[in-house]
Amino acid sequence: MGRSDRRSSLGFWGVFTLLVVIIAACTGSTTSTTGDTGGDTAATTAPDDTEEPATTDAPDDTPGDTSGGEVKNPGLYVHAADDEPLSLDPAQVAAGEAGETIILQVYERLVEIGPGGPELIPGLSTEVPSVENGLISEDGLTYTFPIREGVVFHDGSELTADVVKFSWDRVLEMDLPESNASFLADQIESTEVDGNNFIVHLEERNAAFLSSVVTSAVASIVSQQAVEENGGVTAGQPNQFMSSNMVGTGPYRLVAWNRGENIQLEVFEDYWGEPAKLDVRIDQVADSDVRALGLQAGDYDSIETDPTFITDLEGAEGVEIYSGDFLLEPVHMGMNMNIPEGGLPPEDTIPLDFFHDVNVRRGFNLAFDYEAFVEGAMAGLGAPIPHYLPQGMLGYDDSLPRFERDLAAAEEAFREAGYWDEGFTMTVLAEEGGIFEIAGLVLADSMAELNPNFHIRVLAVVEAQFDAAHAEDPFPYAAWIKNADPFADPAALFDAYIHPDGEWGSVHGFRNAYADPDRIASLVDEAAVELDQDRRVEIYQELAHILYQDPVWLIPGNERALMAHRSWVQNFQMNPLWPRPSLKFQYFDK
Amino acid sequence: MQIREYLIRRLMIFPLIIVGTSIIVFVLSRVGGNPVGIYLEHEMSAEEVAQLEERYGLNEPLPVQYFAWARGVLTGDMGWSGVSAQPVTEALIDRIGATLELAIFAAIVAITLGVGLGTFGGARRDRWPDHMTRVLSISGASMPIFWFAILLLIVFWVNLGWFSTGRSDPTIFESIPHPTNIYTLDAILAGNFKALLDALHHLILPSVTLGFGATAIIARMMRSSLVEELNEDYVDAARAKGLPERLVLRRHARRNALIPTVTVIGLGFGFLLQGTVVVEIIFRWPGLGRWMADAVLRGDQATIMAYVLFTSVLFLTVNLVVDIMYAYLDRRVVLGA
Repeated sequence: MGRSDRRSSLGFWGVFTLLVVIIAACTGSTTSTTGDTGGDTAATTAPDDTEEPATTDAPDDTPGDTSGGEVKNPGLYVHAADDEPLSLDPAQVAAGEAGETIILQVYERLVEIGPGGPELIPGLSTEVPSVENGLISEDGLTYTFPIREGVVFHDGSELTADVVKFSWDRVLEMDLPESNASFLADQIESTEVDGNNFIVHLEERNAAFLSSVVTSAVASIVSQQAVEENGGVTAGQPNQFMSSNMVGTGPYRLVAWNRGENIQLEVFEDYWGEPAKLDVRIDQVADSDVRALGLQAGDYDSIETDPTFITDLEGAEGVEIYSGDFLLEPVHMGMNMNIPEGGLPPEDTIPLDFFHDVNVRRGFNLAFDYEAFVEGAMAGLGAPIPHYLPQGMLGYDDSLPRFERDLAAAEEAFREAGYWDEGFTMTVLAEEGGIFEIAGLVLADSMAELNPNFHIRVLAVVEAQFDAAHAEDPFPYAAWIKNADPFADPAALFDAYIHPDGEWGSVHGFRNAYADPDRIASLVDEAAVELDQDRRVEIYQELAHILYQDPVWLIPGNERALMAHRSWVQNFQMNPLWPRPSLKFQYFDK
Repeated sequence: MQIREYLIRRLMIFPLIIVGTSIIVFVLSRVGGNPVGIYLEHEMSAEEVAQLEERYGLNEPLPVQYFAWARGVLTGDMGWSGVSAQPVTEALIDRIGATLELAIFAAIVAITLGVGLGTFGGARRDRWPDHMTRVLSISGASMPIFWFAILLLIVFWVNLGWFSTGRSDPTIFESIPHPTNIYTLDAILAGNFKALLDALHHLILPSVTLGFGATAIIARMMRSSLVEELNEDYVDAARAKGLPERLVLRRHARRNALIPTVTVIGLGFGFLLQGTVVVEIIFRWPGLGRWMADAVLRGDQATIMAYVLFTSVLFLTVNLVVDIMYAYLDRRVVLGA
């Protein structure tokens, strides 16, 4: 190559580098300084003591620690999420789905779960109904909600009791299978409007109607005008407009949903309550390393955090780790007492009535290495629970019995059941690649350690395959692992996971297992309609004792609410009773 | 054979290959389980599952499902994408623009670097510049792309603050219309210089990451072809005529050395157009690769089918273009022979 070639080559790279630098310089950092934001010292709080969870008290005006550099993106709160909504329509979204997070910010409900814990606060109803204030009838079957006046939707239309009725009727009429329409359908006998009151008549008393049904995403109030102008209501069919657009009364209005990129929310200036302080952007960031880097770079104010990479963030400048209350969705292993004839994989050697024997169920519960799971997969940010009361749930008490690993007792149980000498092979279905698969592997190791003839095959499959198998009735495997649905009240939890004729009771055949299924059924039913909370606590604690002797689940552990955020975020708080990531952005500032 | 005749023959085979591919993929996708799984939510009952199967036509016999899908493709309806919660066709169109944009810029990096390094090394065979370019190009191929990407982010995002992830600054992105969904092109059409700079700014890191990985093959192919060409008699003849070495290289040897390199570039561009999963995930690029990865991981059959159809068409087209370019670059090549 001649000199001129060399010159042109050098020239090209010179220009290229110059261009890169110019573009970076022109459009680079969006950092802005909002005055003196603190010193240079990092304010990192590692979760060094998981026994002392952070409090979730109501927000105050105390400024947060703003150390860790200049505040980036002032006026905007950026949260990095690991999942994207499948729908933004309250009538379509399912429990635990990412859409619930956005619905929580943009739509409102008649009553809301307050920031400080499980207490209820008025939402679009000016009062939280109770027997004492006369808004719940003496028989517990009629609820009256006085609707707040002067509230407008994001499209300018006005909130009335008729619009509230329309919202709930819409859910019932659409009745989409993927939604939680059954939350309303199973409870409500009829609704009516009287002046500015919305009145609900229940089919039967339900102690958890307010905390589990009225506060749920499906009970959110939508703009009647927006629905009617964009497709209306069709039974059994989603409304495409409402799946991608939102018209609520909440402190935020939806600006844009760029799929695969971000969701942008803007402060709603005409909000009836105290307006939010920051606009919000929720970025979709699938890779946990990138989320962690973005937090360190200051581009994200908080990130979806899980225990697997928390150590990467400990000690990072300007980053705090919030480790608060426990979540309400423990990881659990379902035991199938209703295995169909010929339904098991060919490798399995267990009989169809394997889990009918309480010794087998207790044997699994006594053999599982809870410490390995909690300290390993949950990075120490979790704990086992009593059956079946997660920490923070009404009725939970530290003194309730819970399973611990006891290999001698496990051996005794399996000897009693007659499997000790010959052993067995059993397949457990799990979703691949996450904490559920790890729980399966810990189970396999635990059982092999107990007895080398106990073989657990962990069949880890993609989410869609898991969900398809999970929905089969009868269920074609002996066991599966996933997390529970997050219920705010034990009534729904016990109905789904403990009642012998409930959702899982009927699929898994709990009646084939329980020593006294009728007793358990009557206790669960009684607690569900009892309005005296003390009596309910008594019942749930009695059930916890019964279920310790007669378990139908194996519960490896329950995670704490965990979130890494910038130290410049003020009033940071989480409430596990709010949908994941358990944040209400309206309380934050920076 | 004339190019026109060759084109007609190849285009006539197109539909047959696509139909064949779609049938194979359709059958294989059913082997993986019931496609309704992607539409299910946690803990649904059998009745609710049946309702969803009916909504998406998954309760019909397999041949009926296939023909319904094929009819849908012809009318622009490829089903509902469970992973992106929108019609598959809409999702595909949204993502093609993002991937195409990244692929073009990555290709620019890869071709510039690959051809440049290959020429530079080939012209200095077995001397230290040749060894240096070999090290550089092999490092591009051997370095794990996710590691390189993370490394760039640590340096240029976390430490220097020059770049970030994503395709745009959302505020600037929202300020212009997006008729093509190719951000740079949309910015030019809107006459918005700030948006153009924003687009280029966000393209730099992902296109360098992606392009650097593809550089090695191009550079190696270019170098070995050039070395071969430089030993040919016509090069000696050119030198004997007194042509300067620079012109011998540029006008004669390099042009002929480009022929096999174009094949590699063409196929490489085809791969870039499919979207690169790792780069799109790490740089949060809303393209086809990330969409497809989500679909495979979560078992979204409607998305997988659409993607396979798209890539089939893409590779058939790229191969055709490469063949035609062959004929253009080397008049000795006879198409269809």
